[in-house]
Amino acid sequence: MMSLRPDFERALRFFGRVGLGFRAKGYDPPVLVGGAAVELFSNNLIATGDFDISTPRQDAFERELVALGFTKPAGKGMATRGWIHQDFKLGFEVVSSTLLDGMADRERLVLIDLGEDGIAAILSIEDTIADRMGQFHSGSAPEMLQQARVLASLHKDVDVTYLDRRIREETGGDLGVEDIPTDTA
Amino acid sequence: MATSVLKTSQPIPLEAFVAEIERRRAAAGYPEMPRNSGNRRTESKRALLKAIEEAGGTW
Repeated sequence: MMSLRPDFERALRFFGRVGLGFRAKGYDPPVLVGGAAVELFSNNLIATGDFDISTPRQDAFERELVALGFTKPAGKGMATRGWIHQDFKLGFEVVSSTLLDGMADRERLVLIDLGEDGIAAILSIEDTIADRMGQFHSGSAPEMLQQARVLASLHKDVDVTYLDRRIREETGGDLGVEDIPTDTA
Repeated sequence: MATSVLKTSQPIPLEAFVAEIERRRAAAGYPEMPRNSGNRRTESKRALLKAIEEAGGTW
């Protein structure tokens, strides 16, 4: 697949436009994390239902969303901090004010140029893999180990030293880069 | 460490980014990836995904 799935690309372009608003105000751009980053780094090997966003400026982010036509889901059972838009079927939700509890290196963000829609800032591949390993280590998401394995198989040019350090930080020192399976079976 | 279009402080055009990921997928033999189990979803997340689903979204 030489392009992103259409809804995902639409969401990414809206995300870039929010970043434009932030840059105009001199704020650090919001950062895409979680499953959407995994989808982007694997081009749809998984499909995510929403964009998880990290920004210390949640209020400003949500003002930008409103200006772009996002709304909050309403109705019974819709108590969510997330936002939706009629033009595509993915939600947006601010999930943290700091990048992986402040441990992720902003200098390593991947920046994607969306032309007139701005620039989307994505959590680094190393931090995305480390996040998967941390979730695997928690015991509640065993599938995350295989997500980490596949991401590592696609991104063999990761900074191994940084990745190892970040995995250890995310797992309380219990796991390191050697714990990512290397088989492709 | 190998150089890469993804390892630069300069923004990467979306088309180049997608092409690079596709090249890597082919080189890796088009691996499959398990989807999220959803075990760690918050109530807020569940409600958001329910709203997306009711709007016709699938993932």
